[in-house]
Amino acid sequence: MDPNSVAKAFVEHYYSTFDTNRAGLANLYQDGSMLTFEGEQFLGAQNIAGKLLSLPFPQCQHFISTVDCQPSGPAGGMLVFVSGNLKLPGEEHPLKFSQMFHLMPTPQGSFYVQNDIFRLNYA
Amino acid sequence: MDPDAVAKAFVEHYYTTFDSNRAGLANLYQESSMLTFEGQNTQGCQSIVAKLTSLPFQQCQHAITTVDCQPSGPAGGMIVFVSGNLQLTGEQHALKFSQMFHLMPTPQGSFYVLNDIFRLNYA
Repeated sequence: MDPNSVAKAFVEHYYSTFDTNRAGLANLYQDGSMLTFEGEQFLGAQNIAGKLLSLPFPQCQHFISTVDCQPSGPAGGMLVFVSGNLKLPGEEHPLKFSQMFHLMPTPQGSFYVQNDIFRLNYA
Repeated sequence: MDPDAVAKAFVEHYYTTFDSNRAGLANLYQESSMLTFEGQNTQGCQSIVAKLTSLPFQQCQHAITTVDCQPSGPAGGMIVFVSGNLQLTGEQHALKFSQMFHLMPTPQGSFYVLNDIFRLNYA
């Protein structure tokens, strides 16, 4: 499958899951997965899902501006670099963010998130 | 060596080279290296350096705000996620940018850039 299509499909799936069923993100991480969220580090699907579920807003909406991707090496991994806006209910102005995913293939032909780094882009 | 220290050292070296001797970046890429610069893909050290040295500004200064890093897998690679400001000579306001590097080890104990993705962060 074309890498760009894989990246787009992943990004759509990731952010709609985040915005409608945040607990469902746990399926996208494994025990060796790493998340760095605004400089704070988390290891493993449980800790990562724990962090994302505990973010101080019950609802949000991601709007994606750019998606770039490149193959990451012989293991079949893929790097996906996203920028966009994050709208929180009650907040007038959306937050701008950048996020990087390193996806690795699963035996079932899918992908999981091996590395995840998220940063807000302050004005 | 501590991954954070490696990442910091790489980032300092990369942007100092970019700002003072852009052609010197050639030493940091190899034939297999990939650059996506504002959505445009380039492959291979020669083409990448040609792209970077042909950017429409002679001088610039990068000021780094955040550096995050994570190991990328068993091959010893490292992902480095940077955000900062890019000041072009003569421009009143700095441009904000995010950039992601995937570094791979060399036999000599150094690192080269396998993957490089750069995006400006517009207001």
